[in-house]
Amino acid sequence: MSRPGRDDSPDRLYTVTGGRSRANSTAFDLVTLVVSEFDPAPGMQSEHRAILAMCRRPTAVVEIAAELRLPVSIVKILLSDLLAAGRVTARHPQPLPTASSLPDPLVLEQVLVGLRNL
Amino acid sequence: MTAQITNARQRTERSPLRSALVPLLVTALLTGAGAAVTTWRAPADYRTQVALATGLSALLLCNAVVVVAVQRARQRALLARLAENEAGSRSFAEQTLPALLDRLRSGSAPDSALKALPQPSNTSHQQVLRTVAQELGRSEAGKAAALTACADAAGRMQALSTSMLADLREMEHQHADEDVLGDLLYLDHRTAQAGRLADSIAVLTGARSGRRWAKPIVMESILRGAMGRIAGYQRVRLHTTVDVAIAGHAAEGVMHALAELLDNAANFSPPTAEVHVYVEEVPAGLVVTIEDSGLVMGDFALRRAERAVSGEALDLTTLSGTRLGLPVVGCLARKHGLAVSFRPSARGGTGVIVRIPQLVIHRPQEQGSQPGARYVPVDRGEAPGGGSAQWAEPQAVPASGAERRPEGTSLGFDGPQPVVEQRPLAENEATPGIAAAAVLEAFSAQPADGDPLFGPLPGGRADAVPGAETAGPAGSGPVAQPAVSGSPEPDEASDEASDEASDGAPGEDFPLVLPQRVSTLRSPRPVGDAPAEPAGPVEPDDGQAGRRAVPRRGVGRAVSARWRRGRRAARRRRRGRSTAERNAARSPRRAEQRDTTAPRPSNLVLATGG
Repeated sequence: MSRPGRDDSPDRLYTVTGGRSRANSTAFDLVTLVVSEFDPAPGMQSEHRAILAMCRRPTAVVEIAAELRLPVSIVKILLSDLLAAGRVTARHPQPLPTASSLPDPLVLEQVLVGLRNL
Repeated sequence: MTAQITNARQRTERSPLRSALVPLLVTALLTGAGAAVTTWRAPADYRTQVALATGLSALLLCNAVVVVAVQRARQRALLARLAENEAGSRSFAEQTLPALLDRLRSGSAPDSALKALPQPSNTSHQQVLRTVAQELGRSEAGKAAALTACADAAGRMQALSTSMLADLREMEHQHADEDVLGDLLYLDHRTAQAGRLADSIAVLTGARSGRRWAKPIVMESILRGAMGRIAGYQRVRLHTTVDVAIAGHAAEGVMHALAELLDNAANFSPPTAEVHVYVEEVPAGLVVTIEDSGLVMGDFALRRAERAVSGEALDLTTLSGTRLGLPVVGCLARKHGLAVSFRPSARGGTGVIVRIPQLVIHRPQEQGSQPGARYVPVDRGEAPGGGSAQWAEPQAVPASGAERRPEGTSLGFDGPQPVVEQRPLAENEATPGIAAAAVLEAFSAQPADGDPLFGPLPGGRADAVPGAETAGPAGSGPVAQPAVSGSPEPDEASDEASDEASDGAPGEDFPLVLPQRVSTLRSPRPVGDAPAEPAGPVEPDDGQAGRRAVPRRGVGRAVSARWRRGRRAARRRRRGRSTAERNAARSPRRAEQRDTTAPRPSNLVLATGG
């Protein structure tokens, strides 16, 4: 339980990312699914190991962030490192029906008017 | 003593007359006899003159003898007094004054220090002593006041920087924008450096350490914490594969000492050169080697550095202006038993070797923890198919559970460990062979038709899973009957249990096997959180586990979401807009993290094969 004004971890976030606040790649957003391609190896950064272990099955970026208790931006940086090293692959989830496939609002409006007129 | 001296003085004053008496008598006798003989032998005509002359000369002779005798006695007395004075001065200079200084330095008041010492006979000595005592007492008091003020100020600065760091972390979690995050990280770094300076002053002035970690900190975090406090942290390269942790009470000191050494290494090497840190385990503890490729320290500098960190008591007068690092390391080394040595590095610079004693090293439990794992991943969705069938075994649960329970509770655990190990489930214990995956399977089997958090649960519900709850008296041994008592407010109770657990309450008092909450399986936790989750707090949420253990598939996100909402609502009711809740409202994702009792939707989906 974290208490206000109290820090529970000596790790500062800038040491986790080596001072970067911006991911090198733009491949990741909140729902990008990440799959690890390698097993975690000793000597790697613990966050990297955790991500690799966690992503044996496709896992969303936001979920990784929640699991690691790190801000999403930081996780994106870590993931982009892993991606650059080829240790993970990223895939976007199936896109939702796009706006074009939905019925035209105009048609819907006309239907509504018709229904009211009944 | 004074009386003796007075007697001696009286003796020496009386003695001239007394010592003159004997020579006077002897001389008077001799000269008298001589005069008489001379007078008697003299011719009668001159007898009168001869008698007068001899008498006169005898008198003169006696007088001269007396004078000489008195002078000699007086001279002897003066010499004696001189010697006595010399001895007094010597003892004053060699004994009395140093003793006074010692007493004053050790903190006694001038008056009491003067009283405790023998008073010198010499009044001028007494006066000197008094003056010195007063002056030195005043300066010592000033020094102590200055030190206290420094320590106090340092303590406040520490508190300020600590809370600022916590605030900054909070903000870093809130702001997703990369520019804002970058600025926050920058501020974070600056604050951490300011905090280190405050820590240094606190250490030098003998104030107590500002930050305390309630849990062991893994070595990687120690090193990162140390490098986060120096300016050139980006040049530091860590090479570590050890998975040991430093005990909480020493973690801050070790971190600070390493930070100072890293700062030295980074400052005294070219701005582009890297500083390498290696960690290895040795029988005597842990050895951290910090190697830079900067300036090679000369013999004199090496000796000076070694002396500074040798762990001798700190003398503030040896501090040289702005170079506070090594004296701070020395203080910390003395406090935590670190051994620090310097040597020329093969990289061309200087190597510092820090040995951390075994005493402050905390090793994680071996079971199931992979080396270096700070986050222990939950192996999701790989539950054996037969997992659910095992829970129907009614008898095995209490017996084996009761035996295994103390083992689980006595883990005394602080390091990385699989979550399952910390909270042995009744189901798990019924079938010891089942691994974490099976427990996860249990967790995935949520009741679809009821919300375990709202309202009391009918005790009878649990009869499907015998042995899930043992509500018998403590120490009653194996409980054959699955006695279930419905707790009126399971949520409240479990929340309290959770709080208690997170405060590190040991669970040894609970010999019964009680099913654990699902939440503990939810996520792998960083190492340090582990002690916050001891193995066996009683879980008063009766019936929940029983229901939980009913293998039901197909529970989806809706249930978990509802559950989560329920948890939040309950917490809200209980705490009344507490900080945690406010944060939850502000940042749902974090709330989910904190809400340790809520299963993650993905877990559910994956584990149920959904």
